[in-house]
Amino acid sequence: MSRRTVGKWKLVLPLAALALGTSLLATSALGASGGAVKVAVVTDCKGAFGGAYEVGAAGANIALAQFAGGKVKNNKKPSAGISGAKAGGKAIQIVGYGCGDDTPATILKETRRLMQQAGADVMVGPLSGDEAVAVANWAKARPTKTVIIGTAGSQDPTLQIAPKNVFRYHGDGAQWNAGIGEIVYKKLGWRKAAIIMDDYSFGWTSAAGIIADFCAIGGQITKRVFPPLNTTDYSSYVRQLPPPGQVDGYFWVVGGTGTGPALKAFEQAYGQIKPTQHSGNLFLWFLTGFQDVAPRLIGSYVGGFGTAPGLKGKAVNQYHAFAKKTYPGLTNANFDDGFLYNYYQATKALVDGLNKSGGAVGVRLQRALPRTLSAPFNISNGGNVKLDANRQAIQDQWPVQIVKGPGGTPAVTLTGYVPNVDQTFGGLFKKSSPPPGRTQPPCVKKKLPWQGKIREVKNGVVTNTVIK
Amino acid sequence: MKLPRGLGTFDRPVAERIRAWGVMGTVPRVVAAGLVLFSLLYVIVIADPVVDVGSWRTTNFGSAIDNPGAFLFTLLDALTFAGLLFIVASGFSLIFGLMRVVNMAHGSFYLLGGYIAYEIQQSMTGVGFSVQPNEVNTWEWVLPLLVAMGAVALFGLAIQQLLLRWNQGQDLRQALITIAVSVIVADQVIAHFPRHVPAGTKPFGGNAVGIGWPGWTNRLVDMHIWGVQYSLARLVMLALGAAVGVALWLWLYRTRTGMVIRAGVDDRQMTSALGINIQVTFAIAFAVGAALVALGATVGTSQGNISQGQDGVWLLNSLVVVIIGGMGSLIGAVAGSLLFGLVTAFSTAYLPTAGADCCTQYSPVLTFVLMALVLAFRPRGLFGRAA
Amino acid sequence: MSLYERKTTVERAIGVAVLVFVLFAPQLVSGFWMDTVLTQTFILGIGAASLVFLSAYGGMISLAQAGLMGIAGYALGNMVTERVEGGETKGLLLGWDPTLSVVLAVLLTVGIGILFGAVASRSFGIYFLMLTLTYSVIVFLFVSQVTQVGGFSPIAGIDRYTPGFMGDVVNDRQRLYYVSLAVALVVYALIRYLVRTPFGIALEGIRDEPVRLASLGYNVTLHRTLAFGIGSLIAGVAGVLFAWWSGQLSPSDIGLQATIQLLVIAVIGGLTRIEGAWLGAFAYIWISNEVTNRIPEGGLWLIGGSFNTVIGLAFLAIVIASPDGLMGLWDRIWNGLRGRGGTGEPAVATGSAGSQA
Repeated sequence: MSRRTVGKWKLVLPLAALALGTSLLATSALGASGGAVKVAVVTDCKGAFGGAYEVGAAGANIALAQFAGGKVKNNKKPSAGISGAKAGGKAIQIVGYGCGDDTPATILKETRRLMQQAGADVMVGPLSGDEAVAVANWAKARPTKTVIIGTAGSQDPTLQIAPKNVFRYHGDGAQWNAGIGEIVYKKLGWRKAAIIMDDYSFGWTSAAGIIADFCAIGGQITKRVFPPLNTTDYSSYVRQLPPPGQVDGYFWVVGGTGTGPALKAFEQAYGQIKPTQHSGNLFLWFLTGFQDVAPRLIGSYVGGFGTAPGLKGKAVNQYHAFAKKTYPGLTNANFDDGFLYNYYQATKALVDGLNKSGGAVGVRLQRALPRTLSAPFNISNGGNVKLDANRQAIQDQWPVQIVKGPGGTPAVTLTGYVPNVDQTFGGLFKKSSPPPGRTQPPCVKKKLPWQGKIREVKNGVVTNTVIK
Repeated sequence: MKLPRGLGTFDRPVAERIRAWGVMGTVPRVVAAGLVLFSLLYVIVIADPVVDVGSWRTTNFGSAIDNPGAFLFTLLDALTFAGLLFIVASGFSLIFGLMRVVNMAHGSFYLLGGYIAYEIQQSMTGVGFSVQPNEVNTWEWVLPLLVAMGAVALFGLAIQQLLLRWNQGQDLRQALITIAVSVIVADQVIAHFPRHVPAGTKPFGGNAVGIGWPGWTNRLVDMHIWGVQYSLARLVMLALGAAVGVALWLWLYRTRTGMVIRAGVDDRQMTSALGINIQVTFAIAFAVGAALVALGATVGTSQGNISQGQDGVWLLNSLVVVIIGGMGSLIGAVAGSLLFGLVTAFSTAYLPTAGADCCTQYSPVLTFVLMALVLAFRPRGLFGRAA
Repeated sequence: MSLYERKTTVERAIGVAVLVFVLFAPQLVSGFWMDTVLTQTFILGIGAASLVFLSAYGGMISLAQAGLMGIAGYALGNMVTERVEGGETKGLLLGWDPTLSVVLAVLLTVGIGILFGAVASRSFGIYFLMLTLTYSVIVFLFVSQVTQVGGFSPIAGIDRYTPGFMGDVVNDRQRLYYVSLAVALVVYALIRYLVRTPFGIALEGIRDEPVRLASLGYNVTLHRTLAFGIGSLIAGVAGVLFAWWSGQLSPSDIGLQATIQLLVIAVIGGLTRIEGAWLGAFAYIWISNEVTNRIPEGGLWLIGGSFNTVIGLAFLAIVIASPDGLMGLWDRIWNGLRGRGGTGEPAVATGSAGSQA
């Protein structure tokens, strides 16, 4: 080729590529159109809760199979999707199963990808606390998109931020811990306790539920310790806790990847863990990878997750049966896992809402979404959760006890039934109050709506005995 | 490796050196020295134990004089953590010192090593919680350790031969290559581990798991001073760190391979010209460095956990240690680990606790402030050698 | 026409074509492409340009740029948001005037950048890289631990308090698009101008032969510090734009991942030419979008893993095959055509990536 030809070629080629690129952009910018309702199911596939990816997808799919006539594409792999779901006369199209990693930056990326590029109208998700705060902020500026929170436990999205298009059909992190403070006060005789919590919003929110409950009935939190979220060496923080002689017990709100190491550090500082001296939040259910510490927690009372593993009842059996039919590879332990159940409930609500709105999305869907939703793990209100004025669920809570399960692995069994727990804890948490933090809430005595109404649960049956 | 810089160069009278600083040199030095002195005094004397109302003097335990037991605890925490840091960082420093490769994939080697150790121990002890810690016998800890070390050493060797051998001398390019490797390896490890999980739990996803120390370490040892009882497991960690340090020193200064390594550090071309196969030495050094990381990972996983994100954490820890101590220097790695461990442990225990918003949560920031401080005065670290 | 002149002509033609395209892009492409891909290209490109400026003309590969962007964004967020019922709850919530806050945020970033630069200016090469990496980590730890200024939850609502000329950023994304484009062009022009000044030329000298320049009487440390300051000015501007674009900031926008992301962008584009910053940003965003859309849920085929593996492999391929990135590839194609006597071109700024021992 002569130099001139090469020169021309060099000139033309990039411009041609540019033109090609432009047309590619333009065409790929066109999404699929049609009358389907586009839904994005967003969970975490990486990060501290990365294991919940398939589980959350399973929850959403089960609800679509049960209430919208869908058929799962692969009954071994929930993220393969579902087809044939219809509600309100329109097909439900899942545009994608989003993949967060417990950070706001990634979830916003996924949100833009699924809600803007793929054009989803509804998001079922996200999964974790900080992600929900980011999505709630995003949703506030986009009133035509609807967000039904997956399992996030942060308080802000439905109290401080509370946009009109964000719904949550399960309790937040504080609500999950309702009742545990009272149980250890009455059953174990704890009067003074120390609490150790992750130094970020979910840690504070979860701890807030414990503190509010324990202090309301007269307990005292003598020390609060805040290890930062990515601590490598918990020993210095654990040492800030008072030694076992000075307190009646410890509340453990260290989670994610730190639960096991923090407990190990405790044992290295103060000797073996006694289950009557340790309580905590739902992270103690998931000590699956720490077989050297977990056995010693057998017998301790631990906060709930809004689910009731082992609860006996017709609604629960129906739920289990259908779920098992849909995904035979999963077990009841999975169906009772909040990560699956909360997505199930959220999607069920979506189907209800679409049926009522005739397939319309946007503001009409938001008006049509149910304010009362049947819930297998709720006994009050005829087996329904109710939404409060901020579209936040008022939900029964079920503190548990850790017991030895089949095969020697720790399992949880229901130990208490706390009726109708609302997000404000009877007015303790207000929209104008600062969000849970290092000093928030203060340790005050108060009459909570469920104080003195917690009933014993034996073998999955709620007795009439109030815990004294 | 050369003698640490500084020893043997005090050939000018002290007064003349100080005069050479000038005003711009003296002020920061005085300020820094003042801060260090104040911190020491604060810990030893000034701090008060917690009373109802906090002030800038209130700390969790009070001063060393009020509560010598707590001081000893914190000191032991610092030393034992430094032991672990040293094991992990020594590999990093060794690889850089010899081959001038900043192995940014160091963290992902840690991740790989930790998960391999977990898998091996799980397959030996049985998955799930039927294991009480005194059932983890020593062999069930040592074998995972050895397998992890071997596997990561081989893996590191493969990386070095494939990707780093042909572009020696191009520091930044190699750093970029190792960054790429770290991203890929971390992602793949997260996608494929952990594998042995109890029934009903989902595998993979880089979930947090831990392994157990051998059962006999699960007790408190009476230190016989000030009523302090300290965890034997942590003391074992310190002993391992010391053992690694001694072993490395012996290897580098008392064996032929070590001699070659030191020669290669000083003058690569000359060593090669003398007929020594420098490539084999590089390969050995890289493999040893990778094996050390896996050793550190096994210890770290026994002490804490292994999970996604730990690669970033340990890469940064190693970076800080070698930046403070100086790259390519064994004694630098020791010094860096000690300083890092001391600052971490003491800042958490002795920062003021005047109210819940102050101040122990700033301890992670302090370690990096320490690093910036060291670098302001010695840009190559305390014992760093000229490039 | 010599080969060099021809190359310059071609590049100018492409530049004009691209400029025309982006000027009319809001009418040509969908809202998602305009807002998420192109605006983000401009903004991340400005951030990467600060990195490329330092590396191409200063010989300093700095991993602190993401941290500096974060400082600007967080400072803006803290100053601008205010405490209202049903509003933001994180951060200092000072509620200051937006225009003033922008100026202050950028000034703060430059100040901190000069401080960082002063400490780092005596380190070279790989030591400089690692030191600046830890700067980013310090910033990350600071904003996540000091919960008064942020914490792990996002600082939100930043896009609701914008200076007058920005309009309503929340709903009218076009104005943000054009402002980002304008700023990107200004930054580009600024850098091109700066390298022709005596300061810029001395900086290139320091990049190549610091000892010789020092012996000629130049204050090497001061020069490098000032260059770092300029880099932080550019990064600060990028940070402000990013805060407006995203509306929320969280520590994950600053941490190790963000730092590596910016480095990947700069390397893909090319650490030796400023245009590489925007080219790399576009390539990265486009690849990440396409790949994420096409990876089957649950992992890549055969090997598992996610988008990170793909971008890691692409990064590795580029560093091995063309360490000067895409722009270096472009230069190399033209160099390869020299064959029979193209006239000598000015030496392309080589930086320290790849070709130096």
